[in-house]
Amino acid sequence: IPRCLSDRKYSLRAEKVVLEMQDPKTGVKSQPQRLVITTIPHAITVKLLLVSLLSSEARNFGSMLVALGYIYPLQDHKRLVIKPDASLYRFQTPYFWPTQQWPVEDTDYAIYLAKRNIRKKGILELHEQEHYNRLHKWMNHKWDFIVMQAKEQYRAAKERKKPDRVVFECQERAYWVVHRPPPGTVSAMDYGLDRRIDPNTVEVTGESLLVKYCATYKNHDPFLLKCLPSNPWLTDDATYWTLNMPNVEIPTKMRVERWTFSFGELLSDPRGRNDFRLFLKKEFSGENLAFWESCEDLKWGTAATMREKAEQIYKTFLARGAPRWINIDGKTMEVTVKGLKHPHRYVLDAAQTHIYMLMKKDSYGRYMKSPVFKETTKKAICPEEHKFSDNQLEQNARNRRPSLSPIILRQMEEEQKAKMAANVDITQLCRFTTPVPHLAVYSGISDFPSATASPSLPFLAHTPACPSPISVALDSTSASERRVEASEGEGEGNPAARGPVGGNVSRSRMALSLRRLLKRGCTPSTMFASLSPKCHSAAGTSSRIQPISPNQPSQAPPRRIANFFQIKVDIPPECRIYPIESEDEEEENRAASRGGVGAKEIICPWESLTPQNGTG
Amino acid sequence: IPGPLCYSLLLLVVACYRHLASCVGGCTDSLQLRDELRQTREKAQKLAMAICQHLTLHLRDKSLPEEQRKEMELLWVAFSSSLELLHLDMCKVFNMSDIFSLANTDALVQTGLQGSEVAARALSLPDLNQTQSPTLPAGLESQERSTLEQEIGQIDHMIDDMEMKVNVLRWMVEPHGPQYADPLSSTDSASLAVFSVDEEQPGHQPLCQRNKFCAVLFLFAVVLVAGFISVSMVLFSGVCF
Repeated sequence: IPRCLSDRKYSLRAEKVVLEMQDPKTGVKSQPQRLVITTIPHAITVKLLLVSLLSSEARNFGSMLVALGYIYPLQDHKRLVIKPDASLYRFQTPYFWPTQQWPVEDTDYAIYLAKRNIRKKGILELHEQEHYNRLHKWMNHKWDFIVMQAKEQYRAAKERKKPDRVVFECQERAYWVVHRPPPGTVSAMDYGLDRRIDPNTVEVTGESLLVKYCATYKNHDPFLLKCLPSNPWLTDDATYWTLNMPNVEIPTKMRVERWTFSFGELLSDPRGRNDFRLFLKKEFSGENLAFWESCEDLKWGTAATMREKAEQIYKTFLARGAPRWINIDGKTMEVTVKGLKHPHRYVLDAAQTHIYMLMKKDSYGRYMKSPVFKETTKKAICPEEHKFSDNQLEQNARNRRPSLSPIILRQMEEEQKAKMAANVDITQLCRFTTPVPHLAVYSGISDFPSATASPSLPFLAHTPACPSPISVALDSTSASERRVEASEGEGEGNPAARGPVGGNVSRSRMALSLRRLLKRGCTPSTMFASLSPKCHSAAGTSSRIQPISPNQPSQAPPRRIANFFQIKVDIPPECRIYPIESEDEEEENRAASRGGVGAKEIICPWESLTPQNGTG
Repeated sequence: IPGPLCYSLLLLVVACYRHLASCVGGCTDSLQLRDELRQTREKAQKLAMAICQHLTLHLRDKSLPEEQRKEMELLWVAFSSSLELLHLDMCKVFNMSDIFSLANTDALVQTGLQGSEVAARALSLPDLNQTQSPTLPAGLESQERSTLEQEIGQIDHMIDDMEMKVNVLRWMVEPHGPQYADPLSSTDSASLAVFSVDEEQPGHQPLCQRNKFCAVLFLFAVVLVAGFISVSMVLFSGVCF
């Protein structure tokens, strides 16, 4: 649920109710609070508050009022809960109400802490001390202002009568308990990491859309309907979160139902995405999702890695002869390639959107009808509702433990990513790929190892371009695809194959040495398992590998071998790099006429090149 | 120089405005409170205007010596922060006066306040060049509202203007002051000391340095006289006996 929707709705409703409570006749009855020095009016007890609210939802709603900060407790001020005994509360002044438009500034917090420091004569609580030091570091340039303004506010407060001063201090303190909660307490404001806006989500605007949206999601709103087994914010029992972890094996029924709402929902849920990925793998169109994910990675990644990532994505998905070539229309491709000359974070947006819409219109529908999805739906669980007694609730509250550190979570994510990358299945056929003699070979693990291929797999893994076994193995399959890529290495005198060999030579281009690029420091990503024995002489003879016949481009053969593995191979220095954009379909004809060059290399179009006529 | 002096006054006024703003919508909300808000606001704006002009003038002067420039930049950062604070408070008051109309006092939130004089401090400050405006309430709330809206726009404009005209690199500014506000000092820390006002003398004059000097001199004289008397007493008693 987009946060804004439920928040505003409930903020406004809360305000309305609080205002109604002020009515001297029908509102909440208040009593004076007796302190040692004075008496302050307008203290209310929850009992009277609940009497005033008069519903079974009262307790929950009352908790919400306190948690949001419309009412604050006078004793035990750090725990924003309602206690239906004689503990006293008071209404918060509207200035401190948590209305959405007013930002909660760190500057204000710094001033507040400085004031508190003055009042408490240097003794701040630990978390306050930490915040203070952190703010001092990050807002150092305005520190004079902060200190002086704190002093001024402190002095201005002294002008007030003592009871009013006490009230104001309590108000301010309560405000900051809501917005900067002490450790170990929950916060209704929920400022956590998940608050960031995902650019892929669609903002809901327009009345009918809103109505439709509400109707769709109303059963999934924990405010409107009980969430099963229980809402952890209310019962302090974290089963709900455990069951809904990002990569849990068996999802809950509600979660699976949400995947059916829209494609965006499916993708944004990691478990859903995994399921979808599995489905696509079976359909041999996994490259779309992989491309989309790499684009996301580019968009959200650090600036330092952007260039590399863009290059890698281009080489893997977009270039002609790429191992996981995606099918986007010519115009988008043109725009993207042009943009890649000066890569930036959003350079792949057009292509990503295209692929997203493709998946949404095409694969998503089929996924919904697929056996994968049906299986998942069948296995999904629906947990029983918890029924906790009051004592159990207190026990739960006492047993609250912090969750896994985000550092550990991140490590786990990275491990999982690496594991997935190692298992990547390059199954995309591209009629432009052709094996190249002396260059290394990309590989994935095939789903359907053919009889001849599998025994040679481990063999291949270690002596990549060993000619005969490979050519034999690959010859025997109808649509084998080879992609050759070189890695950095000193140029060795590999006897480069001259031109295409073998019977059905296709004039297609293929991925060639990236040596020049790699020398410039663009390291291949760990997306593909890289095994790197150096293959010397064997490389030369791999020219006998049969290239793909262009007559069988789009078959999705049941028996396929997609055996690519990346091996570092030395490339002769004569390997050329030709600018892709200066080539077009007609260039294929020239390939043969180049006198056996054969070795055209995929380069990123933004690299500047010296055109040479190279030998393979 | 009116600039630096104005700044500490501005801080004072902004602090008072915040205290007043925190009462809006509560049970102490009244025409008087709204009026005090208005006056405080106007005062703040006058001060802000003066400081803004002063700073902009100096910071655009390329021939300013380095040390002075650093001081000015420090003041600039502090001033823009105060402006932002004031702007935020004004926006809050604007929004709240929408919800809480004084016509319906039943809906005012019972916050436990009993009302006290917060504004006296801000409003009793000497005006720079103008006389105190009359304390009669402005009248219609809608008029007040549109004035407030206008003034918010003005402050907004001022902030934008400042950003446009003067390029101060905030992260290069280093404050002089301590990390913690010293609870025991009655005068402000050395940081913007030139710009600070002593709390005990609300009617502070630029001549306070002279006053201090006179006071020291006077004390010295008193000590001298006392010493003289005691010495002479000793001598005379010596003579007598």
